[in-house]
This record gives sequence, C-alpha cells and structure tokens, in this order.
Amino acid sequence: MDELEFRRRIYADPETTDSDVVEAAKADGNKRSFWNEQKQLDKQLKQALKVDVPEDLASKLIWQQSTDEFNRYKRRSRWYLAMAASVAFAVGIGLTMWYHQPLSIGGQALAHMQYAEMESAHSLLPADLNMVNAKLASFGGSFSEMLDGVEVVNYCHLSTVRSLHLIVNTPQGKMSVFVVPERGDISVPSEFADEQYHGESIKMKHANVMIVGDKDADLSDMKKAVSERIQFSA
Amino acid sequence: MFGRNKSDSDQVLSDMKAKHQRYEALVKAFHADIYRYAFWLIKDQSIAEDVVQETFLRAWRSLDALNDEKAAKSWLITILRRENARRFERKQFDTVDIDDCHIQDDTQHADGELKDRELQRLLGGLSVEYREPLILQLIFGFSGEEIGNQLGLNKNTVMTRLFRARNQLKEALEKQDEQRGRVNG
Repeated sequence: MDELEFRRRIYADPETTDSDVVEAAKADGNKRSFWNEQKQLDKQLKQALKVDVPEDLASKLIWQQSTDEFNRYKRRSRWYLAMAASVAFAVGIGLTMWYHQPLSIGGQALAHMQYAEMESAHSLLPADLNMVNAKLASFGGSFSEMLDGVEVVNYCHLSTVRSLHLIVNTPQGKMSVFVVPERGDISVPSEFADEQYHGESIKMKHANVMIVGDKDADLSDMKKAVSERIQFSA
Repeated sequence: MFGRNKSDSDQVLSDMKAKHQRYEALVKAFHADIYRYAFWLIKDQSIAEDVVQETFLRAWRSLDALNDEKAAKSWLITILRRENARRFERKQFDTVDIDDCHIQDDTQHADGELKDRELQRLLGGLSVEYREPLILQLIFGFSGEEIGNQLGLNKNTVMTRLFRARNQLKEALEKQDEQRGRVNG
C-alpha cells in the first residue's frame, strides 16, 4: 500500500480495522506514527465537538412532550365540547327562527278595529297634513295631499310592529288606514276579513298600507286615494 | 362489563406509561449527542436547540413507529435533518449564510482549551458537505456505510469526503503552526 492510499484510508477512518491498513502500518514505522498522530488528532476533535449542552435541555424535552400530550388531550375533549356547543347553537337558532317566523298582521289590524271604534282623538286638534306627515316621516313616507275626513292619527302596535293608524271618516263609513313599515319578519296578507270588517293591503316600496273598513264597504276609492297621495322616499 | 372496561383503561394507562418511559429513556440517552450534532450542523446554539426540541416532539408523536431501539439514533438524526431542512423552506428570507459567520466567539467557550477552540473554529470552517459526515463519524461513531445511508450517499463518496475533511483540517493546522512559528521565530 503506497503512502497516499494509506493516508487516504486513515483520514477517511482513523479507527479502521481493515487488515491491509493494519498490515501496512506494521511494516512501516512512518505509517505507524502517522496513524498515531491522526488518532491523537481525532481524540482532540472529539473533545472539541463536545460543546456544552444547555443544562435544562433534557427536562425541556420531557416537559414539552407532556404539554404536547396535554394539549392533544384538551383538543380531544374540546371535540365533545364543540359538539355540545353546536347542538345548543342549532337549538337556539331553531327556536329563534320559530319565534320570528313571519307574523301575519291582518288579524292584528282587524283586532285594532274593535277599539278604533271607541277611540277618540287623543288630540283635539284636527288632524292636518303636517301632523300626519310628521308622524309618517319616521317611516320615510309622506302624503302629498291630505286624505279627506281623517279623524285620528296615532301610532299603534300591530303585534310587535309599530305602525301608523289613521281613522278616516268616509261616505262608506269609518275606515282605518294602517301604514306598516316593511320588515322581513312580517307578512301582510293582501286581503283579510272577519265577521265585521274586511281589509285589503297595498304593497308599496318601503311599506305596506292596509285599509280596513266595514264588511260591506267598498275600499277601492280609499285604496286609490292612498296610493295616489302617499309616497316613500328611499 | 365494567370490569373489562377498567382493565382496558388500565391497559391504555400502562401503555401510556411505557411510552413515557421509552421517550424519557430516548431523551436521556441521545439528547446531548443530538444537540451537539445539531449545533455542528447549524452552528447556532439557539437554533440548534429549537431544532432539537422540534425533533424530539416529532419523535414523541411517532414513537410507536420506532420498533427497533438500535435504530433510534439514526431515526432521530433523520428527523432532525428533516426538521433542519424544513427550517430553510420556512424562512429562506431571513437566514444569513451561516458559513460566513464566526459563531465560535471567545465568550461562548471561554473555559475551553485553546486547542479546542482552535479546532472548533476549523471544524466550523469546513463546508457542510465535509463537516456533516465527519461529525456523524466522530459523535455517533457511524461507519462509512451508516453515514452513507443517513445522508443518501454511497460509501465511496462518504469516504472521500471524510478524507477531504481531515485533510483540510490538517492542512489548516499545519499552516497555523507555520505562521505561529514565523511570528514566534
């Protein structure tokens, strides 16, 4: 084995036990001392590689493992929690939807007629266009011209919906005009009736107008008058 | 029925306990060498520590996949090398070329021998393709074949790199001695 090959082999692995390397070293004192030298250097290298290990590294590694496990366990239990939360949430949503299903307020309007009969003007001042418009303004609407024979203008609640109630004296008897703001959760039937009254509604851009009169009253004139005179701003 | 459930959960608990013990044994046996390997691979103490932590966390999570305790060392090294590679994928932008930095400053190794420090500086100066096989050999006592398996190289390539690594170290040492000789003489 020549010098170069010997060095190559020793450099590649000073701990080698290959027999040809060992034989070559036995036969040549220079090779032997080169090998020893190299072994010595390797010892020093090993020593030099032994940099300080952070003192608490082992405990950190064990600690982080238990936190990881704990977090996973938490995640697992959170799964059940999430499930329960979802169910509760779904029930909540269901109940709310059920609660808020569109309420039909035709019947409410009819019920109001019962005491509209008895109702007298809260204000003794005659209802004029300004007053009506002032009240209607909160719904974004106004009359361009006063309806004939308006006696009472009042807010009233049809179920949970605040609306404007006008009681109008007409040749066909007393009629009520309800201005109901448009809301997603209410439905206004186009016609409704009971033993005493009947009503029709006009669907407008931002509101519904319901006109209720006596059972036999003809509502068409009033419908026409209202739809011509009322307007809603955006 | 309850009786059986109880013994099942006892079984799970004792499996868990066994896994813990196995993990702790793994940590105790290898954390120092794995850390040193990481340090010499990365040449930064705190990054090395992070990578080691990530390595052992992954090892813990897939501890069941480790069937052969004798393979534990190279298994950990494989995980560590993957973690280290991931680090480069993750933050390519804010890494500096670590080969350009001299991290072996005097404060870190103030207590080390002068010779140690000199060798450490030289080891750190080797390019990683020579440094890595050398530290695998020196720290873990891997054979050329084992190093080849670990690094995905054939044995001859590994032996050549080991030869060149030591050759470079030797040359650098001789050069230093010469310089020192000149200065002193």
